[in-house]
Amino acid sequence: MSTLHVLSHSPFGDDRLNSCLRLIGANDALLLTGDAVYALQPATAPFNALSARAPTLYVLAEDAQARALDIPADARAIDYPAFVELSLHYDKVNSWL
Amino acid sequence: MKFAIAVFSAAHAPSSRRALLFAQAALAGGHEIVRLFFYQDGVYNASGSVVTPQDEQDLPKQWRNFVTERQLDGVVCIAAALRRGVLNAEEATRYQREAAAVDAPWELSGLGQLHDAVQDADRLICFGGA
Amino acid sequence: MPKSLLIVSRQAPWSGPSAREALDIVLAGGAFDLPIGLLFLDDGVFQLASKQDAKALQQKDLSANLQALPMFGVDELFVCGDSAAERGLAPSSLALEEVQALNAAEITALIDRYDQVITL
Repeated sequence: MSTLHVLSHSPFGDDRLNSCLRLIGANDALLLTGDAVYALQPATAPFNALSARAPTLYVLAEDAQARALDIPADARAIDYPAFVELSLHYDKVNSWL
Repeated sequence: MKFAIAVFSAAHAPSSRRALLFAQAALAGGHEIVRLFFYQDGVYNASGSVVTPQDEQDLPKQWRNFVTERQLDGVVCIAAALRRGVLNAEEATRYQREAAAVDAPWELSGLGQLHDAVQDADRLICFGGA
Repeated sequence: MPKSLLIVSRQAPWSGPSAREALDIVLAGGAFDLPIGLLFLDDGVFQLASKQDAKALQQKDLSANLQALPMFGVDELFVCGDSAAERGLAPSSLALEEVQALNAAEITALIDRYDQVITL
């Protein structure tokens, strides 16, 4: 079984990213949307935590673009049609509301 | 494939817009949406009283048009809606409130509708928070 | 075979209606005889702290609802051991006896076991 975890909160001053990284499984993936893309800000604690755990990583392209954040080479930028397909590729979607 | 989409945040939250764009992409991809369920602050998306600033996206209107045009089942959790002052005419009368904010195509109903949608769909996708 | 649903409750008891609205989803599912699980994670573990006094805040005491869960057929109750420990809550001190403490790996497996999940 596999889960697509979806985050949408800024990782600064919020524990969702850290909690998610603690229990994300080997077959799971992480999709950063909204302010959660701030985890891509280099040389920050959230960026380091993300790099250390290194989950399969997707980023909602519009959110990275809006914030002028670079998408790491090992992450995939996606649009909404790809988001839909991703939600079907994994067995379930766990949005951290 | 069949999707149940639940929205937990208000119209002004970016996640509400993401939910709508996801829903549109799902239909464009040939998939089915068995139900849109609005819970917690998501009930505000169904409020006809929301006045969006002219230079911003009018999400309540976009949601309403989407549900109407695509003939989708748009359900608003009645308990969450009452608590937040999002009442239809029937509830406004029942509780003797001045204004009714909810009209067709939105339907006020219970959490059973969420469970029903989860049972029917292949995927449940939730949008909310930020 | 009905699909199973895991509710992950992450908010403290009186940080707004979230704790109650998470519980309402669980109770509704139980009332319809659906396989529902409830995991207390992060600040959600504070819902299980003992000797709370909701009346001091003129708030609803949810512990009665929590105690009633098995009567609604919801007996799959879990708490994140790490979240509890970080917040100074010993598993033995939790207000709900039937709750099972899990570590991170067990929670990963728990989420895998359920067909759908809502984390609020």
